[in-house]
Amino acid sequence: MIRVESLTKVFRRPHTFSGPLGPLRTLLTRRYDERTAVDGVSFEISAGEIVGYLGPNGAGKSTTVKMLTGILTPTSGLIEVDGRVPWRDREANARAVGVVFGQRSQLWWDLPLIDSLRLVGDLYDVPAARFAGSLRRMCDLLGLDDFLQTPVRQLSLGQRMRGDLAAAMLYDPPILYLDEPTVGLDVMAKQAVREFIAETNRLGRTTVVLTTHDLADVEALCERIILIDKGRVLYDGGIDDLVTAYAPPRRLVVELADDETRTFEIAAGRPIPELIAQVAAEHPIRDLSIREPDLEGVITRIYAESER
Amino acid sequence: MIRPLAGMARVGMRFQFAYRSDVIMSVVALVAQVFLLRMVWTSLYSGRESDPRGLTLEALLAYLSLANLQAFVTTPIIPMIAHFRIRTGTVFFDLSRPTGYLPQMAAFQAGHTAGGLLMLAPAIPVVLLVGTITPTEHPIGYAATLALGYVISVMMSLLICVIGFWTLETGAISLLYRLVSHFFAGTMVPLSFFPGALGVLADALPFKYMGYVPAAVYVGQLSGGQIGRAVAVEIGWIAALAGVLWAIWRRAHHKVVIQGG
Ligand SMILES: Nc1ncnc2c1ncn2[C@@H]1O[C@H](COP(=O)(O)OP(=O)(O)O)[C@@H](O)[C@H]1O
Ligand SMILES: [Mg+2]
Repeated sequence: MIRVESLTKVFRRPHTFSGPLGPLRTLLTRRYDERTAVDGVSFEISAGEIVGYLGPNGAGKSTTVKMLTGILTPTSGLIEVDGRVPWRDREANARAVGVVFGQRSQLWWDLPLIDSLRLVGDLYDVPAARFAGSLRRMCDLLGLDDFLQTPVRQLSLGQRMRGDLAAAMLYDPPILYLDEPTVGLDVMAKQAVREFIAETNRLGRTTVVLTTHDLADVEALCERIILIDKGRVLYDGGIDDLVTAYAPPRRLVVELADDETRTFEIAAGRPIPELIAQVAAEHPIRDLSIREPDLEGVITRIYAESER
Repeated sequence: MIRPLAGMARVGMRFQFAYRSDVIMSVVALVAQVFLLRMVWTSLYSGRESDPRGLTLEALLAYLSLANLQAFVTTPIIPMIAHFRIRTGTVFFDLSRPTGYLPQMAAFQAGHTAGGLLMLAPAIPVVLLVGTITPTEHPIGYAATLALGYVISVMMSLLICVIGFWTLETGAISLLYRLVSHFFAGTMVPLSFFPGALGVLADALPFKYMGYVPAAVYVGQLSGGQIGRAVAVEIGWIAALAGVLWAIWRRAHHKVVIQGG
């Protein structure tokens, strides 16, 4: 469905000068600053998959999504989405993908939500009967009925995000790109978004690329993740495999008598009772627990290793 | 092809209605401006029988009212919209539609203007009255020059929208554009009163088709062959602007960066 090969994007912009004449010099300069946002990324995604595209701030996630939608032209490399090159065949690609950005909305701020949804129906030329059915389904799935007539600027972030999800899926695109769709949402709203994504994927076999910081999103939705940092892929594969392959050691967490908490790494192969006995010999223990490695720990470790 | 544009036009109209309090304020400003211009020009004319340029006071006042009304109605909103959307990165969505960016913006503008006209309808009799405007002898010539002038105005504003892809900043440019276009449209002073080089410049620029030319046709300062020639030149401007827009847009396309992530 999606094939990306050696994808690279270098941003080039005039060097910014400081000082009183800075803006003028910036305007006239021929000196350029280059920044490689995406650096030789390759992956393939099959129809119906939900893939988590993960990475710290500035890793190049949004830039990848912008190239997948055909809005940004790659500096080099190849993208094929449903057999098309997005930036060359923008119109057909536009009909095949829905996009949601957590940080910006496609809804018209000053108009009632329903106006923006109707506009989407018109822009993608969705037949009236199909539009009505789609809208009904979105309203049921996302609980939009309460605020369809409310101007978007009066919506809560969670309501706005639900409106954006509806707008992205009203024309039934087979592919959905979600760039940090849960950022800033409360627990309930996050849950609603996750359920919507899971439903959409299950019912419509929609292929989903999900960018997020929230590992709970990934754990709830994705079987596979692609981990990137500084524009490069660090890991691509199943979550379970990742945890097994990179699992940091389990930890023994000990609460001492004087309310202090200490953690000890459990070295692979070392019997736990032995460690406990050793710790107990040196400290008065009040309570103890063993912490299993979680996804967060694993990912933190991968980033830390790639730093070296 | 029609439906996406009709949808954008509807949103443009709704957008206009969403800001009706702004419209009321600017109608008040419009009426006040026409009223002030009327005072100034009446005093300038006092004691003279007629102006050497052959415009009676009545015709001049009618002209000023019309020119301001027209400039008010045809002043485009899209540079402001585009500026905001480029700055915040929302332009991403405009670019990701199956319909082209420029047609979307043009349709939005058309809907916005139509909405403005609907809201202005009650104010038009007042302006006509304050400006002592009587029916024209050239209704068709007036409608033709004004409609084409509007198309020119929209195309010029599309040009400003596209420039925003380079500068990422069209706020100052669109403000400047507004001032320059209103001045050279002849909303304060009829173009026939501009002296020397300024007159030549104003005559060469396309802004006069948004104010001066249609209004002058209305009050009878331009007639017959002059109207036909104006229409021909307007069509020429539209063709030229279409070419420029097409060429610039092709390059802007590759310039696109979407801010924020
Ligand atoms: N328009 C741009 N011009 C210059 N640099 C940019 C631009 N957009 C993004 N970048 C840079 O590219 C890198 C990747 O950005 P982005 O893809 O937004 O990261 P992410 O979404 O993973 O947080 C960052 O270092 C960012 O500063
Ligand atoms: Mg991002």
